[in-house]
Amino acid sequence: MDSYLIAMVTLAAIYAMMAISLNLSWGLAGMVNLGLAGFISIGAYASGLLTTVLGWPVPLAILAAMIIGLVSGVALTYVTLRLRDDYLAIVTLGFAEVIRLAIVNELWLTHGSDGISGIPGIVAREYGYGFELGTLALALAAVALCYWLADRVRTSPYGRNLRAIRDDPEGTAVAGKNVTLIKVKTFGLSTAIAALAGAFYAHYTSFISPEIFQPLLTMYVFLALTMGGTGNNRGAMLGAFLLIFVLEASRFIAPSLPQFSAVQHAAIREMLVAVLFILTLLYRPQGISPETRHR
Amino acid sequence: MIETILQLAANGIMSGAVLAVAAIGFTMMFAVLRFPNFSLAGHMAGGAYAGWIANTMFGLPLPLALLCGFLVAGGIGVASDFIVLRPLRRAAPITLAIASVAISLFIENALRFGFGNDLRSFDLPLARDWVIGWLRLGPQQVQNAGLAIVAMLILFVIFTFTQTGRAMRATADNAGLAAVKGIDTEKITRLVSFLGMGLAGAAGVLLGADTSIEPLLGLKVILSVFAAAVLGGLGSIPGAVLGAFAIGIVEEASQIVVPATYKGAVGFVAILLVLSFRPSGFLGRRQT
Amino acid sequence: MVLIVRDLVAGYGAADEILKGVSLSVGAGEIVSIIGPNGAGKSTCLKVIAGLLAPRRGSVTFKGHEIAGLPARRTAALGLAYVAQENNVFPSLSIQENLAIGGYLNPSTRRRRSDEIMGQFPLLRERRRDAARALSGGQRQTLAVAMALMSEPALLVLDEPSAGLSPVAAETLFETIVAIKAAGVSVLMIEQNALDALAISDRAYILVLGQNRQDGPAADLANDPEIRTIFLGG
Ligand SMILES: Nc1ncnc2c1ncn2[C@@H]1O[C@H](COP(=O)(O)OP(=O)(O)OP(=O)(O)O)[C@@H](O)[C@H]1O
Ligand SMILES: [Mg+2]
Repeated sequence: MDSYLIAMVTLAAIYAMMAISLNLSWGLAGMVNLGLAGFISIGAYASGLLTTVLGWPVPLAILAAMIIGLVSGVALTYVTLRLRDDYLAIVTLGFAEVIRLAIVNELWLTHGSDGISGIPGIVAREYGYGFELGTLALALAAVALCYWLADRVRTSPYGRNLRAIRDDPEGTAVAGKNVTLIKVKTFGLSTAIAALAGAFYAHYTSFISPEIFQPLLTMYVFLALTMGGTGNNRGAMLGAFLLIFVLEASRFIAPSLPQFSAVQHAAIREMLVAVLFILTLLYRPQGISPETRHR
Repeated sequence: MIETILQLAANGIMSGAVLAVAAIGFTMMFAVLRFPNFSLAGHMAGGAYAGWIANTMFGLPLPLALLCGFLVAGGIGVASDFIVLRPLRRAAPITLAIASVAISLFIENALRFGFGNDLRSFDLPLARDWVIGWLRLGPQQVQNAGLAIVAMLILFVIFTFTQTGRAMRATADNAGLAAVKGIDTEKITRLVSFLGMGLAGAAGVLLGADTSIEPLLGLKVILSVFAAAVLGGLGSIPGAVLGAFAIGIVEEASQIVVPATYKGAVGFVAILLVLSFRPSGFLGRRQT
Repeated sequence: MVLIVRDLVAGYGAADEILKGVSLSVGAGEIVSIIGPNGAGKSTCLKVIAGLLAPRRGSVTFKGHEIAGLPARRTAALGLAYVAQENNVFPSLSIQENLAIGGYLNPSTRRRRSDEIMGQFPLLRERRRDAARALSGGQRQTLAVAMALMSEPALLVLDEPSAGLSPVAAETLFETIVAIKAAGVSVLMIEQNALDALAISDRAYILVLGQNRQDGPAADLANDPEIRTIFLGG
């Protein structure tokens, strides 16, 4: 397989994990997470630092990253649970910003905006093509695992409660059920998966910096999920591949508009992403592969 | 020590006044449209650039530049509402919130396309700090705070003494009932978008006059603005003003204990604390 | 006739036939009551008349204008004032401001009307600076009716105005409604308190399961033994 293709599919797989994460919290439970990039960066930095500074083996570091992601997700929802969705939107957005501030400012730990480089691969980088293929295989396996987990959540009686909570926030439909616990668990699982995606990203690219985890990243994941089909895990994966396709296709902007600067090319690309997002919300809000309603 | 505290309080009040202008915009739109409009950040930047152009290219003084920022940001607000949000009026609040993030992304990048990422500053007369006792006040900050307070007074008059102002508050209270009383709620919504985003733009100009402007100017302070609104109770205008002064002061005071680089985190902590202990905010009555 | 409703079919979303062909009319200066069991569709019928719900079929003619499907603010502009059962005042606005919004469509006469109405309801004048949320249930209902009168309507449409009021407050409210009629305004109202409603009404309609069951002069219905047993509690 062509290296370029492998790279794109690997990246798409990482985005697919992010989209599944978002689908769990937002698509299934109706809990919006505008701080997704924050949880992704937590996973990336946790795994990156544990391997480079403490020399932990990669699998163990990834596991630890997921646990940290889970704990931070649970801690955050705990405060906002009794509140309306719009507060959760504000709080999660703020959370990501605080994480970003911490990464930029705690130079002793994170090297600030210089970032962390030399993060080991999940498969040793020395293997070259083997590293590429191996990472791809592992990323796909991780997506499969996330999908399996998320879909079990979706189709279980537990998932039915989740949707009941989402569709009836007043909570009358699930009277008697422990709504709080259900929500905390789901959000925790979702942030653990976001952290896993971040860790994968770190070990795949070997370099992370706060630049990478801007709010724009959260936007990309929302776009992927919305295009694919909110509420549908398969739609989430489909959307991730679509997103990579869109982002890659937008590379052709630069050569076709040579009169503009690099900054302007980047601006055009992000404007296109914004427009695509808005068009999707206006004309195809259910996405390409809409959620099928379970009883 | 006491000098430092007084100095920080004075600085906090001045920056709080500017924050208040944006927080009023945010909270009044929330009251009528019922979703947190994140594109406030983009509109702040849009207004800031409009004011900057008026000031540096047309040589207008700050109050007029402020007016330009208000009008342009209000215009963009009405346009973005008409094109993107109006068709989504019946969608869930969160869908609207996310659409508003996309609007902000668009505006910020349109500015980046036109002006690049460079910091730009207003062309304002430099003046030495005023020293009153041990208090040092920057004339520019004082002027900004003064303009912010004038803007708030004008708004207060509109809301309390005009029938249109009453109609806006009535629509915020109960849009269905407002329609039954003959109010064109869609028109009111448009007006609220204009005023709300206009205020965001005016706040953008004031922030820019204080330091400098860049496409992400709004994004940098949006957390403080949200914190002010949440602190005061989402949807409450007097609450937003109080909340803004509180956040302004606490942000300045926080510099005693944490590095100034963490100023942006203060708003977040304030939000968490308020939501934990008094979710409806200082003056909010609405059940959460 | 001020209001003529013909063969109205209306509902909500999937339940799109709550009303299955309702007809009624209100003449000039008349008080007309709608009575019927819970869930009969009485409130739904008033919402269609007020313009809050578009009917699937049928017509609503008000002062000669076809108003079925017109938005609420247009029917209001034609002189139809609707008072919902709940949430019928603006809680954070003062009483004075509530009245001002009640007269939103008549800016030229607003001040005069406001004075007249506060003369008619001294309580509202006394508390004119208080926020409406501070009023008791009966006071709030009075304010809601007063707001409706601010627009000098030809027809006042009331959904269970006495619900939740003490007997004394309900009594006062009915007296107010009679006074409104005396001033030449037609009234269409729903009442749970059927006997009291019939006592002040000229005519009444009985609605069951979204259909007309019976209608006629209020006095006749009040004395009909069958109706007394089924709807009027003996
Ligand atoms: N907004 C709505 N959406 C869906 N169904 C509704 C709605 N409002 C009312 N209904 C249904 O329509 C039917 C008629 O309701 P309506 O309120 O018109 O009855 P009513 O005669 O006024 O009863 P009541 O005496 O209880 O006020 C009921 O079965 C009710 O459940
Ligand atoms: Mg009813």
